Amino acid sequence: MISYTVRRILLAFPIMLAVFTLVFLLVRVAPGDPAVAALGDYASQEAVEALREKMGLNEPIWTQYARSLYGFIRGDLGSSLITDEPVSRQVGTALPYTAELTLVGILFGTLLGIPIGIFTALKRNHTIDYVGRAFSLIGLSIPAFYMGVLLMIAFSLNLKLFPTVGGGDLSNLGSNLRYLFLPAVTLGIIMMAYITRMTRSSFLNVLQEDYVRTARAKGLAERVVIYGHVLKNSIIPIASVIGVYSIVLIGDSVMTEVVFSRPGLGKLMVGAMKQRDYATLQSVMIIYATFVVVINLITDISYVFFDPRIRYN
Amino acid sequence: MYQKLLIGFLVFSLLIGVFVGGTWAQTLAAIQILRIAFDAADLKTLNPHYAAATMDRAVVDMVFNGLVRYKPGDIAQFEPDLAESYDVSADGLTWTFHLRKGVMFHPYDGNDGYELTAEDVVYSLNKSANKETSAYAGEYTGLSFAAADKYTVEITCENALSPSLFLPKVADYAGGFIVCKGAVEALGKGFKTHPVGTGPFMFQSYSPMQKVVLVRNEKYFRGAPILERVEVWYMADVNSRKVGLGTGELDLIEGVREQLWVNAMKSEANTAIDVFGPGETEVEYLNATAGPLKDIRVRQAIAYAIDRNELLAFIGTDVATPQYAAVPPTLAGGLTKAEVEEAGLLYDVDRDKAKALLAEAGYPNGFSLDAVITERVSYRRPYENVQAQLKRVGINLNLQVVDHSTYHSMIRDDVNPIVHYECWRPNADVFLTRFYHSDSIVVTGAKPDTNFSHYTGIDCLIESARVELNPTIQAMLWKTAALKLLEDVASYPLYILQFVFARRSVVDYGYELQSTLALYPQINELTRILKK
Repeated sequence: MISYTVRRILLAFPIMLAVFTLVFLLVRVAPGDPAVAALGDYASQEAVEALREKMGLNEPIWTQYARSLYGFIRGDLGSSLITDEPVSRQVGTALPYTAELTLVGILFGTLLGIPIGIFTALKRNHTIDYVGRAFSLIGLSIPAFYMGVLLMIAFSLNLKLFPTVGGGDLSNLGSNLRYLFLPAVTLGIIMMAYITRMTRSSFLNVLQEDYVRTARAKGLAERVVIYGHVLKNSIIPIASVIGVYSIVLIGDSVMTEVVFSRPGLGKLMVGAMKQRDYATLQSVMIIYATFVVVINLITDISYVFFDPRIRYN
Repeated sequence: MYQKLLIGFLVFSLLIGVFVGGTWAQTLAAIQILRIAFDAADLKTLNPHYAAATMDRAVVDMVFNGLVRYKPGDIAQFEPDLAESYDVSADGLTWTFHLRKGVMFHPYDGNDGYELTAEDVVYSLNKSANKETSAYAGEYTGLSFAAADKYTVEITCENALSPSLFLPKVADYAGGFIVCKGAVEALGKGFKTHPVGTGPFMFQSYSPMQKVVLVRNEKYFRGAPILERVEVWYMADVNSRKVGLGTGELDLIEGVREQLWVNAMKSEANTAIDVFGPGETEVEYLNATAGPLKDIRVRQAIAYAIDRNELLAFIGTDVATPQYAAVPPTLAGGLTKAEVEEAGLLYDVDRDKAKALLAEAGYPNGFSLDAVITERVSYRRPYENVQAQLKRVGINLNLQVVDHSTYHSMIRDDVNPIVHYECWRPNADVFLTRFYHSDSIVVTGAKPDTNFSHYTGIDCLIESARVELNPTIQAMLWKTAALKLLEDVASYPLYILQFVFARRSVVDYGYELQSTLALYPQINELTRILKK
């Protein structure tokens, strides 16, 4: 198990290198010039050329690649081409906002999605099942940015319950939670919808298994049957779907941050993309790739805990 | 008797003072914090000599001053700013500025701020003129700067310049903003995100991707501002800005320059809409050196095929006004509709004539062109409308939509036969030089810039007007140049798109807003928030 984890972590390094190279090339292959983006349309070509030189964009691409890679390996992410701020500082400021948003979104979706999925499976074809399925369908159908706007209109504009502008003060728990609530619910509802449907479907499959019928036939209490036999056997697909949709949720967090003006990685990435800020963009994309690798690793490792029959060699 | 009268007068004055002061205090909201949100993910630079985007210009406008300034809310007039007066030599070559005394720079990096002197002004203008330290260096070619004494600055021009060409260079716009020499040297690259000037508001903090906070400059030479703090928020989503305005978390937001948005906001309670100038010119530049557009009859056909009224109905008459020549009528040298009509160059829509001209040019069945257009709505919507209108005479524009930064790079690489460009320039010389002088031809010009038409026909007029000191003759030369452009159909001006902001109705700017080169409703020492 430990050797498996170590191997997976080591495997992450070539993956990160591949991602770094791909991102480095992609952002530069895409048309657009950081100097033009930075100076705006009023600047003359002469000024644009001067800035390109200053940004190091006139150097051969492999020189730029080698310099970026060397910096990246040493943990130096460089400086933003636009604001000259160290990227590590930008990322350091943004990361907590994105981390708490995705984490709370995942928790919200998981902690509500599993019980609702179980409940609707147990009440199959009852009204509650139809209502649960309808709600999960809504969650699946509405994009995060639209859901965010709807929640803002309902809870901020009309009910005046939550703020909508910014990310709040991270050092103040009360302020932080107030600013976090709506964006986290936005992501959580979508996550919850996925998990509800998968839990329900997985539960229904297991409920039809012979050993469940046997357990019931031998007179075990329904609670023991459900939690002791059905839940344990249906948790593997649920864990998989949590892993997969956590990655989807990270994607959704980008637009959610833009809608709620949270100063997180998503907003940083969109801004960097628009301004062709190569240094910032490639660093943020690497961090997102790291998230994906870590979530996949956690998902794989979690299988062992949920199903002792699984052993990694 | 006199003593009694005097005492009575003093008591009366005191009562009036108390009453007026009390009324003034009663009208103001208890909290004087203004929050503005711009359509941006983050700032780009707060170095005034590079700031070009609206959100950056706004901060720069509040932090810095020029030697002279455009009157708040009205760009048609100049008034003193850091210089209390100025004079120009008889030959028009030397401009002398007499600085105000006691103007203090904001504190920075352990320095409490020091008095502005001619040394700072000279340093700042030299910085503006240096292409290594300014995006506007081209505007200062041929100028030299010297400090005659502590409070006197002399600017010498290689060629005499008229006030309408000279004053914008030292006004509160782009390179004209005066920076603090000590702060630039002390902060280095950090000056980009920590601006230090003499303006009504001082930089306090920058939270990346979130906001910049400015605070009242108690030592501002026009008096301490009424607002205690200004927060500039970066919010790229218009719905979020709108909701923020509705919840009262924001006081002023950058809007969408579309009729539908303006109409929607008009119905919002406690909200006021500001639609103001100078706006930005929306022009189609026709490349006269490539493909079918080489033939003037084809360019004329394009002009006859486009119906400005249809376009304006599409964009919205509240936010757009028609433009008939390369230089807008609000600037010296601009042409009005009547003047263009009188010259017979209005090209009023006539699609039969357009088809006939195409047939005459050898394109009876029209032709197709490939073009790129940015995803930005203010470019894409008019261009798509023009595409639809041209289709009616048989010209097919095959559009590829790209992002805004890509678009600007591609059009400078000369990929588009018809380039849509949106901008404002401070005077006719800049408009004509950058879009129509042969030196400015994209890719191949001596100083490649934005001459997308590859036009070469008015160099002489531009250069003559630049050195003409008589404003009437100068304007005449610019008008002649603009008429020549219409005659040769180097471009087809569509309309001027105004700026649109929405604010809580309790926000009072402190001046009447008609037009501003700061590109946002300027916030100054008189701006205040009234009680509900």
